[in-house]
Amino acid sequence: MKKSLIIAALLLACQAIGWSQAKKPTIMVVPADAFCERYGYVQTVNAMGETVTSPDYARAMKENADIRTLVAAMADFMAKNDFPIQSLEQELKRLQTEDAELAMMTGKNSGAEVDETPLERLRRSAKADIILDLDYEIHRLGPQKQVSFNLQAIDAYSSKIISGNTGVSSVANVPMTSLLEECVLSFKDNFLNGLQHHFDDLFANGREISVTLLRYNNCPVDFEEEYEVNGDEYELAEIIEAWMADNTVEGRFTTAAKSANRMRFNQVRIPLYAQNMNGRDVAIDAEAFVKPLVRMLKKAPYKLTVGSSPRGLGDVWITIGDK
Amino acid sequence: MIALTLLMTFSAVSASAQNKDRRKSFQSWDNYEITTEKVGVDGTKFVKVWGFGKNVDAATMAAKENAVHACIFRGLPGSATAMSTPPICPNPDTLASHEDYFKNFFAPGGPYLAYVSMTTDGVPSGTDRRKVKGGYKVGIYVQVMYDNLKRKLEADGIARKLSSGF
Repeated sequence: MKKSLIIAALLLACQAIGWSQAKKPTIMVVPADAFCERYGYVQTVNAMGETVTSPDYARAMKENADIRTLVAAMADFMAKNDFPIQSLEQELKRLQTEDAELAMMTGKNSGAEVDETPLERLRRSAKADIILDLDYEIHRLGPQKQVSFNLQAIDAYSSKIISGNTGVSSVANVPMTSLLEECVLSFKDNFLNGLQHHFDDLFANGREISVTLLRYNNCPVDFEEEYEVNGDEYELAEIIEAWMADNTVEGRFTTAAKSANRMRFNQVRIPLYAQNMNGRDVAIDAEAFVKPLVRMLKKAPYKLTVGSSPRGLGDVWITIGDK
Repeated sequence: MIALTLLMTFSAVSASAQNKDRRKSFQSWDNYEITTEKVGVDGTKFVKVWGFGKNVDAATMAAKENAVHACIFRGLPGSATAMSTPPICPNPDTLASHEDYFKNFFAPGGPYLAYVSMTTDGVPSGTDRRKVKGGYKVGIYVQVMYDNLKRKLEADGIARKLSSGF
């Protein structure tokens, strides 16, 4: 009897651990803007009469064998650490194929086309939660070469640098591949240590996200509208701030912007897990975190039309007045 | 005469205290020198490490232990062409909280030996072998299987995996 109780308890514990795995951030190696500029991997776009240059990642990945070597070496050690990285090259190819398939796709019976708003199309781009911004430069010292490198791991939502590594390879007359591999091996452990530190902080203090609230111009109220709470009049913005204070880890958040039409919270620390509608502990992201706020604003006395739209694991927009 | 006796006694006590301090620092496991020589091949660290022992063999074994100890608890310093390496267990309490595990790990002929490859040919000589009071201090070039060591400590629940919790 005692033995079966222990086994049952162990099974329950295993299940609980299985349910409460935090959402794994996606990681992608992206050539730095400076690298793309230096090697001419840029595309020029005419945006409303203004000429804008942006990095051409597809061409950089296709034409530069060195960057492929670096990405392959990094992918290898990340995979060995059970953290496979997303391939930018494959992601760009996937998006291209997806575009072509979506254009051709029609309903079998009605012939209807798949609907996609311009915003949905814009957001359907290559993105990751952690961007590994990679830059390197080759220095020639007579017949010998040396590589200097700069690798930054950037949290895509808070734009914070999680881990930064710079250094140089040895000076040698060897193929570039050897020097690049030497660079990767040189910064590998420090870089992993930086990531580990970030993840430890995430588990101890919660995930850091950003929340933006926007008002459509057809909304009858703005964030300065006053409502009665416990016999006192409070602005909607104050009520939302109070909700944030109650629901963030140790009340940690910063109100970055507050006006009648827009509110922005950053450095919002959210718990990794919360209970879903069935009372089960599940891993949450930014959108799941704001769902209770959205539901609160839909109910009396506010009765607003509210929509939420995620911009990845750690950034969410809430709109009032429309979805 | 009394003054001379007092002076001699004081000198003797002072010398004895100095010897004790010296012995203590020799006995301390943190008292060793290690430098990263160059970037090792994938998954390894190429270091020069010093060890102290009653004879050259004992000092060489101590140096090997020190190399593994540095990878686990101290980290490896950087050099002109190699970045520094962080320790596998950065938490300073790890050694105390897993004392039995590490006693067995670093026992004579213990599992730690599987993670070091000596690259110095033969017995250290010249400036790498120094006769000091109480024994020898030797410097050897060692290749530590850093990644294998890390995997072992992760598998044994001593070090945290990067993906744990996800």
